[in-house]
Amino acid sequence: MLQAQYVDGRSTRVRTVSLSVSGTDLVITADDLQRAEPLAGVVFDEQLGNAPRRVRLADGAFCEVRDLDGLRALMASARLRDGWVDRAQRHLPWVLMSVVGCVALVAAGYRWGLPWGARMLAQRLPPAISAMLSRQTLKALDGGMLLPSQLDGARQASLRSQFQALRLPDGEPIRWTLLFRRSPALGANAFTLPDGTIVLLDDLVAQLDNDQQVMAVLAHELGHAQGRHGMQLLLRSSAVGAFLAFYLGDFSQLLAAAPAALAQARYSQSLEWQADEYGSAVMRANGMSPALLADALRLLSKSHHDAAGVSYLTSHPPTAERMRRLEELAQLRPVQPSH
Amino acid sequence: MDQTTANAPQPTAAPARQPQPILFTGRGSEYFGIWIVNLLLTIVTLGIYSSWAKVRRLQYFYRHTELAGSTFDFHGRPLRMFYGRLIALGMLLIYSYSVRLHSLVTLLVLALLALVMPWLLRNSLRFRLYNTSWRGTRFHFRGTVAGAYRVFLLNGFLTMITLYIMAPFMHQRLKSYQHDNSWFGRTRCSFHAGAGRFYLVYLLVLAAIIGFFVVLSMAGVFNAFASINAAQHGGGRVDPSAIFRTMLITYGVAILFGVSIGPAFHALINNLVWNNTRIGEHRLECRMSPVKLAWITLTNLLLLVPTIGLFTPWAAVRLAKYQLESVRLLPASDLQEFVDAEPESPGAVGEEAATAFDFDISL
Repeated sequence: MLQAQYVDGRSTRVRTVSLSVSGTDLVITADDLQRAEPLAGVVFDEQLGNAPRRVRLADGAFCEVRDLDGLRALMASARLRDGWVDRAQRHLPWVLMSVVGCVALVAAGYRWGLPWGARMLAQRLPPAISAMLSRQTLKALDGGMLLPSQLDGARQASLRSQFQALRLPDGEPIRWTLLFRRSPALGANAFTLPDGTIVLLDDLVAQLDNDQQVMAVLAHELGHAQGRHGMQLLLRSSAVGAFLAFYLGDFSQLLAAAPAALAQARYSQSLEWQADEYGSAVMRANGMSPALLADALRLLSKSHHDAAGVSYLTSHPPTAERMRRLEELAQLRPVQPSH
Repeated sequence: MDQTTANAPQPTAAPARQPQPILFTGRGSEYFGIWIVNLLLTIVTLGIYSSWAKVRRLQYFYRHTELAGSTFDFHGRPLRMFYGRLIALGMLLIYSYSVRLHSLVTLLVLALLALVMPWLLRNSLRFRLYNTSWRGTRFHFRGTVAGAYRVFLLNGFLTMITLYIMAPFMHQRLKSYQHDNSWFGRTRCSFHAGAGRFYLVYLLVLAAIIGFFVVLSMAGVFNAFASINAAQHGGGRVDPSAIFRTMLITYGVAILFGVSIGPAFHALINNLVWNNTRIGEHRLECRMSPVKLAWITLTNLLLLVPTIGLFTPWAAVRLAKYQLESVRLLPASDLQEFVDAEPESPGAVGEEAATAFDFDISL
């Protein structure tokens, strides 16, 4: 006999009853009550901690049981078993395995799943979305951070035609736009918007020795455009932000913002390597040496020390390492003009 | 408890007439198992399982909350919560996508969302209360749709155009809409705090914030003078590490204050709201200390960081325990009689089922 508090579901009156199993029925008895309910229609609520457990009957009545061991014995006698999630929640080995599982899944998801997912999604998203995002980004920047270029029309036309004459490693022509802007805040820089539009800033053109070096930097940016890196970064940071918001929940927005920013910095490095590699391939396809980009980086890093604002290099991996790799690429494979 | 008993007109009151404290019996270690298993399932299902997890979380907390020997319970069905989340997520996506557009569509979408939100919020309140029960009797929310539009849309608009001067007033209207329209079975709840008292709490917190920054900047200026003075007397330059240390302490204190002020405000508002809410003729008493609540929040945060969030279950239990146990029910008459007086007609308990559009829209 198991003691329980019985509530009929129509009033708040509580009656002390005893529960037992008879055949396929749950039997509820008190002085003024005798009920037999088929076990098939009875719901045994999960055991959550040490809370009293409820046994629900089909008509809305329920029994509240405080003797959890007694109820388990009663269920066992009726050959009833708790659900597997219910059991896992209070089984120490499963709980510990869940800790390990969560940590491993989050780490693996961050390391491999996120870049993979962002790449897949970035390639499949309709171009209209990235075009829209780029338009807005540019609109927002044009009001403040970006100013109209001061390069004269002839200079712009010359750089643009050189850029458009570049061929991608697969022989395809360039299908992205080149824009000229000036920005005291961003300094000597060039960047690629999510839809592949490349923005070249005046200071970068001014600080490099020749147009070949400018084309080398643009070749690197083509790597970002081709790989849809802008869109990938956007997707990654959104996903990280969403996960952190979910995990940290209401505890702190402050905490949620910091790791997202860190994740961004860490991620841009691997994408920069990819862009360097693609850029090298572009340069080789156009009869240029990847060493040109290394030269450009050297010039930029020299001026970097006296430039006040943010420069091309701060958002990129260590310059020395990049130059070493680019020079390796230049030496390993001799330049082969494709035309 | 002794104090209130002494104040009671009849010292020989039956036990059911004595103040009934709320007890929370949950334990962090217990909740950890539930939390982590459900977190794993949520990650594996890419978030879909989170609705099932949320139902378990609510059930764990409700069932470990005890009043007069009986616990609360949550009856929401996970699938309903899931639909609610889908809708909330969809609205969030539409919102964040449209605000990036900067066009006529943005205004249109925002207007549409503003029109739907009050209705959804009201249905969400109804869902939450309808699925909450104590001793088998459910709560209800009977706020009208028109009331929801007045509270959320009209007052929200008024607050915005008056540069938040009306925020305390709107807060009062919101609480009044919520509590005046809540029912326990057939007993209606009522709310008795006027807008003036909300303004008092808001002004108090505002004064604390201003006072804090005045003192902090004065201390900073004083410190700077002191270190320049010391440097002049020492004949050397200002010690950069001393400046750095001062800055570090200043930022640290500012962050500590920033984290604490939210919970302190929360405690004051909760005291105001619950001390002025009645269930029928029965009153509630809430004695939450702003300092204690800020301390709990702060220490929770400090323990969450080094444990990469694994402290979450203990943090949640600790917070819930303090908040819940600072509330007491002060029965105006015999509680057992009150409870027994709930009619046995099915209409009072289960008939008013949630409609198809009732779900929890909170993420």
